[in-house]
Amino acid sequence: MIRAFSPFLALRYLITRRINILGVLGVAFAVWAMLVVDGVFTGFVRDIRSNVESSAPPLLLTDLPHDSSFTVFHDALFDDPDVVALAPRLRQHAMLQPIRQDQRTRAKRGSNQLDFDHTKNGFAMLIGIDPLLETKVVSMSAWLRRGSNEIARYGRDESPSKVFDEPDEERLAEMLLPDRVEWDMRRRAGMPHDPDINNHRSSLPGMLMGWRRVFNLPHIQDGDPFEVVCASFPGGDGENGALSMRTTQKPFASAGWFGSGNRMFDAVTALVPIEPLRTMLGHDIDDLTSIPLVTDVAIRPRDGITGNELIALQRRLEKKAQAKLPEGSKPCSVLTWQEQNSVYLKAVEQEHAMMTIVLMIVMLVSAFVIYATLHMMVVQKIKDIGIISAVGGSPRGIGSVFLINGTVVGVLGSLLGVAAGVMSAIWINPINDWLYANYRIELFPRETFDLQGIPCHLEPSWVIAVAIGAIVLSIIVAFIPARKAARMNPVTALAFE
Amino acid sequence: MSTILRATGITKNYAIGKQQIPVLRGVDLSIKAGEKVALLGTSGAGKSTLLHLLGLLDAPTSGTIEYDGREVQSLPVGERARLRHQQVGFVFQFYHLIPELTALQNVLLARMMDTSVLQYWGKRKQAKASAVEMLQHVGLGERLHHRPTELSGGERQRVAIARALIAEPKIVLADEPTGNLDSATAKEVVDLMFTIQQERQLAFLLVTHDEGLATRCDRIIRMKDGYVVDQDLTSDEQAR
Ligand SMILES: Nc1ncnc2c1ncn2[C@@H]1O[C@H](COP(=O)(O)OP(=O)(O)OP(=O)(O)O)[C@@H](O)[C@H]1O
Ligand SMILES: [Mg+2]
Repeated sequence: MIRAFSPFLALRYLITRRINILGVLGVAFAVWAMLVVDGVFTGFVRDIRSNVESSAPPLLLTDLPHDSSFTVFHDALFDDPDVVALAPRLRQHAMLQPIRQDQRTRAKRGSNQLDFDHTKNGFAMLIGIDPLLETKVVSMSAWLRRGSNEIARYGRDESPSKVFDEPDEERLAEMLLPDRVEWDMRRRAGMPHDPDINNHRSSLPGMLMGWRRVFNLPHIQDGDPFEVVCASFPGGDGENGALSMRTTQKPFASAGWFGSGNRMFDAVTALVPIEPLRTMLGHDIDDLTSIPLVTDVAIRPRDGITGNELIALQRRLEKKAQAKLPEGSKPCSVLTWQEQNSVYLKAVEQEHAMMTIVLMIVMLVSAFVIYATLHMMVVQKIKDIGIISAVGGSPRGIGSVFLINGTVVGVLGSLLGVAAGVMSAIWINPINDWLYANYRIELFPRETFDLQGIPCHLEPSWVIAVAIGAIVLSIIVAFIPARKAARMNPVTALAFE
Repeated sequence: MSTILRATGITKNYAIGKQQIPVLRGVDLSIKAGEKVALLGTSGAGKSTLLHLLGLLDAPTSGTIEYDGREVQSLPVGERARLRHQQVGFVFQFYHLIPELTALQNVLLARMMDTSVLQYWGKRKQAKASAVEMLQHVGLGERLHHRPTELSGGERQRVAIARALIAEPKIVLADEPTGNLDSATAKEVVDLMFTIQQERQLAFLLVTHDEGLATRCDRIIRMKDGYVVDQDLTSDEQAR
């Protein structure tokens, strides 16, 4: 039973003692920080995840041995009822250089610090794709739209590439540009071309580059040619036991820009049709001994597949693929989009976890503020404790005065913090814009992570958990001074000066 | 008349370090309903200590305290608090009002000790009315909403008296209630206390250094060094 005097006195003290404001503000601040910082991080992680998700195929068969053939896996994998589409992928390191005389930029030869910005040095990760199949696994039109949008954000107008709109399947397989475009380009670049535009048929395979490369190249028009250089180790030893290495070189025509949403991917990758790339690696389709080379297979499972079914599917496909590999091959794996990017995603999640720990400490500090203010109040109120005893207050009721006081401080602080947190979450972008416009202060490095605004997502369950957590913590912390008050000897308390 | 409070063989030691200092060395006394008793004695005789023990604020080292024939000294603290609330009203030399509360709230607080929040909420109007009435009775009808710091010493002591009486105790334990007042004010306060005592037939145990005041009581108990040295009826009472 709560005696009537406990809440009555608790509220009186609360109103008349200014020090309680400190406790309320302490809790409010902690709750606010908890909500805003975590909200930004949650939003950030969600954005990052959705960016990463859109940049990766739902499933990817990878870790295949050198010289794997697509046909070997195709039937075995496609057989599975849960598989909807398959697309071959061929990954290959390469260098690329614009060909046109006036556009040539040399790769940097070295600088005074390590330069890992691959958009500057001509390094590229080529991914050979089969345009006919790839579009069934990954939303290529979304990639092209995103590429153009991202570039537009930096004030440059690039309409989305139309390379996949080509109706002729044979031309699409090579990602050829329209005849007129290529003829124009050849003329500009001083490359051999038929004097009559109508006789020209495009022959340079197209190449889509990640949009981040756009700023480190001279102005590239559709069809501008690039020299692509691949180095490969075809296997077997060369003269005198030295490793034999083959470099091949082939012109490609720029077909536009893509944006997957994954920063690294968009900086390094260039998409090329798979057949010309296979040719460069010594597997020309017209060569009788050649195989349809792949390093990975992108897989789309059926829609609405559940998490457990997906895991089962992964293991099943791994088994099926492994069965097709030569005896003694290393195990291949089928990875989800999360697993394909696990290092990056884990790093982001870990940052989130670290931040949460820091916030917990902020919360503990604010709990200590409550403890300190209540403790101070108990000391200041020792005489009152004696008085209440003398008029018949029970120790339990006296303890309750301070417990209630602490609880109310916790509740008020929580409410205030939640209100401030929710408002901040709603207004964070306008506030940030205003700060930036007036003081050049950024609350969050949007540029670093390629985000349009500060992402902020408040999970209602988190808001409730934080609010209740703060209140519970306040009560726990108030318990100590409350007990001290309850155990005080009334006579000593009365004599206290 | 019935004995409402009886103390037998009360001793109290205070521990200072390892040493036990005896403050009360075996006190016997009893108080009847409606009786006014003065407690006199030199400073340090143990009067206040005795009062605290009788009011159940502290437990004696040995001896028994009976209220209406029931031994209460070893009841659990919560029970003792309840009994204190029901039976005893304290008045102190230094008023002991809570500075955050107005006169009215200080008095009302004493009504809230034994009722739950809901019970109190149900009868809060009555409680307030009776507190206002009590304050009017002690002559503070115009001072209801003053804080203790905004009241004179005499007024503060009137508030303390109102607070001691609001829960309708059977006995009032007053520890030098006029010790801090000038003689004119002291007389007013004492007159007020005795009037109310008469009206309500309260028992009164009054610690004082004022012989004149003591003689207005029915009985005088004298203490010295932790003993009761003398219990006699005052001439008033003898005359009766
Ligand atoms: N908490 C305590 N610890 C130790 N000794 C105490 C304590 N309280 C009181 N005493 C001692 O007990 C003795 C009696 O004190 P008490 O206050 O009862 O005297 P008193 O008769 O009321 O005196 P006065 O007339 O001055 O108020 C004193 O010697 C005092 O020092
Ligand atoms: Mg005394």
